[in-house]
Amino acid sequence: MTAQAAVQAAINGLLTGGLYALVGMGLALIFGVMRIVNFAHGAFMMLGMYITFVAVGATGVSPYLMFPVAGLVMFVFGALVYYGLLSRLPAGADFMQILLTIGLSLICTDAVQLVFGADYHLLNTGLASTNLALGYGLSVNAPWVVSFAIAAAISVGLYLFVLRTMTGRAARAIAQTPAAAPLMGINVHRVQAISFAVGTAAAGVAGALLLPVFYLYPTVGDQFTEKAFVMVVLGGMGSIVGAATAGLVLGVVESLTSLYWGNQWALVVDFVLFVLVLSFKPGGIFGTERA
Amino acid sequence: MGRSFGRGSAVYLLAGLGLAATLTFAACGGGQRGAAAGDAATFKIGVITSLTGPAAAFGQAHENGYAIALGEINARGGVKGKPIELVYYDDQSRPDQAVQGVNKLIDRDGVPIVLGAYSSENTRAIVPAVTQKQVPLLMPTATADNVMDSNSPWVFRLCAGSSAYASATLDFLKTTSLPRRMAIVYENTNFGQSQADAMAQAAGPAGFEIVANEAYQASAPDYKALLQRVKAASPDIVYFASYLLDASTLMRQSAQVGLEPQAFASAGTGFAAAEFPTADKGAGAYAEYTFSVSQWLPTARWRGSAEFDAAFFKLTGTHPAYHAMQAYAALLTAAAAIDKAPDATPAAIRDAMKTIDLPDTPFGPISFDARGQNRHPVLITQVLGGQYKIVHPPDAAETQAVLPTPPWSARKGL
Amino acid sequence: MTRSHALAAAAFAGALLVPFVVRSDYTLQVLFRLFLFSALGLAWNLVGGYAGQLSLGHSAYFGAGAYGLALSTRLGLPAWPSVGVGILVAMLFALVIGGVSFRLRGPYFALATIACAEILRLSAKNLTGLTGGDVGAAVPALFSGQVVRSFYWSAVLLASLAAAATLAVTRSRFGYYLMAIREDEDTALSVGIDTAKTKLAALLISAALTAVAGSLYASLFLYIVPDQVFGLDISNEVAIVAMLGGVGTIAGPIVGALILETASELFKNVFLEAHLLIYGGLLVFVVLFLPDGIVGTIVRRRTLARRRAKPPRAPDHAAA
Repeated sequence: MTAQAAVQAAINGLLTGGLYALVGMGLALIFGVMRIVNFAHGAFMMLGMYITFVAVGATGVSPYLMFPVAGLVMFVFGALVYYGLLSRLPAGADFMQILLTIGLSLICTDAVQLVFGADYHLLNTGLASTNLALGYGLSVNAPWVVSFAIAAAISVGLYLFVLRTMTGRAARAIAQTPAAAPLMGINVHRVQAISFAVGTAAAGVAGALLLPVFYLYPTVGDQFTEKAFVMVVLGGMGSIVGAATAGLVLGVVESLTSLYWGNQWALVVDFVLFVLVLSFKPGGIFGTERA
Repeated sequence: MGRSFGRGSAVYLLAGLGLAATLTFAACGGGQRGAAAGDAATFKIGVITSLTGPAAAFGQAHENGYAIALGEINARGGVKGKPIELVYYDDQSRPDQAVQGVNKLIDRDGVPIVLGAYSSENTRAIVPAVTQKQVPLLMPTATADNVMDSNSPWVFRLCAGSSAYASATLDFLKTTSLPRRMAIVYENTNFGQSQADAMAQAAGPAGFEIVANEAYQASAPDYKALLQRVKAASPDIVYFASYLLDASTLMRQSAQVGLEPQAFASAGTGFAAAEFPTADKGAGAYAEYTFSVSQWLPTARWRGSAEFDAAFFKLTGTHPAYHAMQAYAALLTAAAAIDKAPDATPAAIRDAMKTIDLPDTPFGPISFDARGQNRHPVLITQVLGGQYKIVHPPDAAETQAVLPTPPWSARKGL
Repeated sequence: MTRSHALAAAAFAGALLVPFVVRSDYTLQVLFRLFLFSALGLAWNLVGGYAGQLSLGHSAYFGAGAYGLALSTRLGLPAWPSVGVGILVAMLFALVIGGVSFRLRGPYFALATIACAEILRLSAKNLTGLTGGDVGAAVPALFSGQVVRSFYWSAVLLASLAAAATLAVTRSRFGYYLMAIREDEDTALSVGIDTAKTKLAALLISAALTAVAGSLYASLFLYIVPDQVFGLDISNEVAIVAMLGGVGTIAGPIVGALILETASELFKNVFLEAHLLIYGGLLVFVVLFLPDGIVGTIVRRRTLARRRAKPPRAPDHAAA
């Protein structure tokens, strides 16, 4: 394999990783403040895709402009799920949270299938066949670049949200020392609700951005749930910067694995990496904390 | 919880076991076999397909195909003087559920024949069950060759299998003057692996060299690295075994990485779907020049194909792929066998099925060989001008194949 | 012999007699699944319920049992000894997976178990020379003749074995160690419990039982593919059965399996495409209204009622 092929594969992997990053950051935010293994995260992303699909179909506007709709709807949806369901569970009910998110994921998937049918849909943007040459025989596909750029901008926004806003700081406080947060006068419920809604919105936006380069069907989100778990752990303890970086790393690792070893091993490498990190650096590649 | 409930738990254990037994009687009522054959008002036929789960889109295609056939058959009086009633069982795209479905349909609903399942995995799983129950199974869509391995006298397959796909493709390629280095790219499912294995086995004796044999994880967004790897092996022919969405992704991304063999060939399915050459639901212009194995097309010369296409369009607003046609033809075949059988027992229907000869269906002539395989001719098509055109075998060809495939840079409309 | 023992024996006998009344293979197969998942839920419960270690990767051991049986017979071993090979492979997996994941706590442990099971599933898909890959592997029949009936009995026996094992564990020092770990692992460690060894021992028992269930399941269908026996679906279903019924109770997994398997079958026949929606709704309902699971909630209410009642009287077994 030539060096040029490797660089090209790494670039493509990075672009895919940008979208993974957004999915992972959303889950990291949720995981940080609630410590829940959210099996519905992929389903939330799928909902974001369908919302965008419907919005684009109704208005004819480009999906690149319609992602805020998906984000907004999913924000409200996330808040409803939190107040309607999650907040009713007692703290530390790991088992019940998992049962709840699995149930929720089944409901979302099957409801979408009942409304839209199980058939596949595709959204063509016209950009799909535009390739941008980078020199040295390297090139990138335009819709991936646009999606990546928007994902990057939103990721920075999420980062600033966590870093600068009161809610974000409170969320970090909860993530670091859950027991102490209420003593510091933090309204844990409200922070959790906002974090869950923002995390859900991030999944929805990631879905919206994936739509132009992918396709949609009711169970499309399932594979991303697992991937998001991997990113959250690699990134360490609900760190959203860690999860974002992990998303980029995963994208590149998968791409290079496909190139050198075969596509069928790409997912295996994801999980092996995951287990290795958990075993030797449980705080995540980028974390310092112990799990 | 759990600290002091040794005795209490035993009581609950009891309650569980007792309730299980009660439910048995309540929910399942003994389940007499063959109830439908008697004086019921309808003639029940069992259908197993994937109404939910990852294969649900194809289950829906089945459902639509069956519905059209059902309407036609019942409009002309049903079978044995009764209207047909289809009893569905959703296998949730899972093999164990398909087996449970066989038992349910036969034991509780008393169906004397079962149609299904959709996927090769699920179909392979139900073969032992129908054989043990001695009820005929008609498979509409399972192409993996291992579904016929058991040599069970109770199974019949309407579609052509993967070895027929490979040999038809090789027969066609041998008629061309293309060089013979081939790469196989397949999704890691039963369908994909069966197709790849069949091709890998048949290619050598036919004089083709396999230079790459790559499995991939189905329905991922990015296959560019995979295709770069294939490109590095510099094949003259790339043979894909993929579902629809991956087919579209693979062709678009082949252009992005500059994979330019002299021919893109494929084992049907995604590459033979009605949507594949369309711009709004498929690969659009990227589908141009691809070859595919096909079992049926709306433009097939068999009588009734166009009518089925029209009926399907009226029902769903889309054009059918061959999965729907195969479901439709399966029900027609089953109905014909039931009518032909002297009585409605599974054995009589099985024997009728063995000797059935339908020379003129929209799916072509239907008759089964000694193993229960329908002698279905396999067509090779090429996408030309956004349409599937039959290019092989010569007696069915609509037009001449365009070869070699032009490089991406020389193509229009991308 | 106490009354509850007598009742348990009667119920066991009743369950064994079911096939003489029920002749439908379909019903027996649904009941087979019911008892199989009771056994799986009970096995999971040792680790998930009593030790409080939320494993979401039990398909690793299930698949080991299934493929152990399929592949050993290919090497010429008779069918039943091959089940033993499946058990050994599952225990080997348990040693490795436990070694990796037991150092982790809470959700990290759960995620690690998912990852290990996924590595096994994907490897089984990719190592086509060994497993046959997605084309699948033929599995030998463990019984001949009236097969579904025999499988039903095996599942009843396995569930009873799992229940008996659970009962024995809860009454032993080992069982108290497990519960101590669940309540507070650090405290357990500080009072001298070898938590690592204790958790691993529970996992080994759990894995062995799960592997037998995997073998039975595979042999009933005579054919397996990796996605089916190593899949996330199996792991989730096993955990759901126990959680729905109530973790850390003996009756919980059995009641969970009873409700879940009958509900999923009835929903499927009645609601067709909408059945997963209803099934998901059932899960959400249980979470919201029976937060300790079905049995867990009943047990807690009874305990509360008993505490309030003065003077304390003997629990009324017959009412259960």
